[in-house]
Amino acid sequence: MAALGGTTMGTVLSARILDAARDCVARVGVSKTTLDDVAREAGCSRATLYRHFAGTGPLFEALIQRDLDRLDRRLAVATADLVYLADVCAAVLTTGVEFVLDHAALTTVLAVEPTVLLSAVSFDGSELFFARARALIAPHLWAHVGSDAERLAELLARIAISHLSSPRTEAPISDPEVVQHLVRTYVVPGFVREPTSERVQP
Amino acid sequence: MVHNGAVVDTAPGAHDPISVHDQVVRATYACVARFGMAKTTVEDVVRESGLSRATIYRHFPGGREDLLRQAIAWEIGNFLGALADHVRDAPDLATLLDDGLGFARRAVVEHDLLQRMLQTEPDRLLGLVTTESFKTLPFIAAFLQPYLEREAAAGRLRAGVDLAEAGDHLGRLILSLIGAPGRWDLDDPAQRRMLVDRELLGGIRSV
Repeated sequence: MAALGGTTMGTVLSARILDAARDCVARVGVSKTTLDDVAREAGCSRATLYRHFAGTGPLFEALIQRDLDRLDRRLAVATADLVYLADVCAAVLTTGVEFVLDHAALTTVLAVEPTVLLSAVSFDGSELFFARARALIAPHLWAHVGSDAERLAELLARIAISHLSSPRTEAPISDPEVVQHLVRTYVVPGFVREPTSERVQP
Repeated sequence: MVHNGAVVDTAPGAHDPISVHDQVVRATYACVARFGMAKTTVEDVVRESGLSRATIYRHFPGGREDLLRQAIAWEIGNFLGALADHVRDAPDLATLLDDGLGFARRAVVEHDLLQRMLQTEPDRLLGLVTTESFKTLPFIAAFLQPYLEREAAAGRLRAGVDLAEAGDHLGRLILSLIGAPGRWDLDDPAQRRMLVDRELLGGIRSV
């Protein structure tokens, strides 16, 4: 019981530290956030914080992982019960774009230190980014496109990143109708499966 | 410009603002190649170009940042020019995209200065490359327009495709793929063909 209690306490504190880190980043950005700031914000000592996260690297990594888990759950809810591939793709894009635009820490980083995000999505940093995007999105596409899921996941991630970094003012990606149109016109035709023999039979 | 012209700007054509601009940008690029962006100063550009500090500031009122930005823009322009020349005579849009992606990827990988700066000062570089890519996207989209029109005239496009929107969409994917190929091996012709046929032109070309 003591061990279980300890774990729960630890989990609660970890969550509080991650919230504190997110709030610090939302206020001043990544490069200006220190472990001392986060400890103060979380109301714990630097030593306690260090027992949970051995530096800003592991701390931000845990924050990213928590966000990925949250986005994963939202994607599951948004795509559940959808029948058509176009609707699934549109739900993935709209959910992802909303997640980014509503994320106070991400939007601060985009505004004050965009190169932190840019270096994560272009050139050398991009391999890790797209690997994560595929791992996050593809499971929600498997039922619809099978082995093409990773390819489609990456394409949707490219479209989202491009429109978030260079918005089309006349057709913003935050508009679900724009997303539906893009997906139906340009994405889905590249992923429709060959007609199966059952279909052509009466 | 009697009061300073004879002393400083003696080279033929030195009063032509385009040639001075070009001279300064080339000199800045040479300095960046030698010292990196962080260490390049206006004094270095003065020495490299043989022009006066006053002349340089007259053409680049923003000083050092202005020079660096224009040097990067100049090299991106060179890259886009070479890319455009490479694909200009392609017989159709699919071939153009296929050849263009292969050429662009090789150019990025083989660009020594770009690769070196990605290692040594990625933040400064990416900031400028991205600012300039806001201009790159419309350039690529505009370049593709006549090719899209030709496909439309040949009856090779799906009914109802909006050519401007299709150009924008293709431009976005091309820029994304050049900077970050992801799971695609753009050196492999079979992968490029699949990428072009399904993801780039899947919704644009008629089947």
